[in-house]
Amino acid sequence: MAEKGISKDLIGTKLDRYEFDVERGKIKEFCQAIGETNPIYFDIEAAKKAGFEDIPAPPTFPTVIQFWGYPKIWKDMENMGVDTSRILHLKEKYNYVKTLYPGKVSSQGECVNVTVGKMDTMTFKTTIKDAKGDTVIEAEMSIFIRKPE
Amino acid sequence: MSKIEFDKYEIGQELPPLKVDPVTHANLVRYAGASGDFNPIHNDPDFARKTGLDGTIAHGMFVMAQIGRLCTAWADQKQIKEFGVTFKAMTKPGQKLTCSGKIKRKKEENGEKLLTVAVEASDESGEVKASGELVVVC
Repeated sequence: MAEKGISKDLIGTKLDRYEFDVERGKIKEFCQAIGETNPIYFDIEAAKKAGFEDIPAPPTFPTVIQFWGYPKIWKDMENMGVDTSRILHLKEKYNYVKTLYPGKVSSQGECVNVTVGKMDTMTFKTTIKDAKGDTVIEAEMSIFIRKPE
Repeated sequence: MSKIEFDKYEIGQELPPLKVDPVTHANLVRYAGASGDFNPIHNDPDFARKTGLDGTIAHGMFVMAQIGRLCTAWADQKQIKEFGVTFKAMTKPGQKLTCSGKIKRKKEENGEKLLTVAVEASDESGEVKASGELVVVC
């Protein structure tokens, strides 16, 4: 097996564009998994009463879109030279342009930064758009790759 | 959650903290299924040990989700403009997290009144697992 490693040449690499259907049931499942109990995430009437159009997706839900919508990310990272068994999450940041509601979204990630050296890191920027093509959320994720002992 | 009013908050003011039940292996398996993040370092202790960890660790995003609960318990989600964290330490099953927040900055920018809150999650020994910022538009 070739020795793994990342390089700055990866900056600018675009991942595949994909679509994902944000379902109310998936929002509910995610909220149950994180211990969220606010009825706005489970009951459409409660959500509407609180001024939402539909059940909103909670702030960290975009991670569901990224992993369930694009399970190929692991393979892509391996192909980029990342030892995925040694990844740790370093940073995650979301800009919320609009509230994320159930419905079809499309998304695409891009590698926007790589550092190599004492600490190998990669940063991906992902834009999530609604069915009309309007940006809903911009996400930025940084990972680092632990060096073997 | 309620509508946050800019004038009602002062720098240094704290959000009501959120105490989280101790993280269990079952929580992480469930979170893996819900989020789709099946990296085995979170659900397979033998695999985790083989990669040099001393057992499974919680998903960073599980920890961030707990801070997210603190944020949405405080503010109307429609007001949340930005939310970001840096992960500082690994969270292991058995640890008990507390999420907290403190008003860090108040500013008016492009006609928006913005409150920035420093947020973090730490365990019972005080080790900070993740810290970052929440920005709400008032």
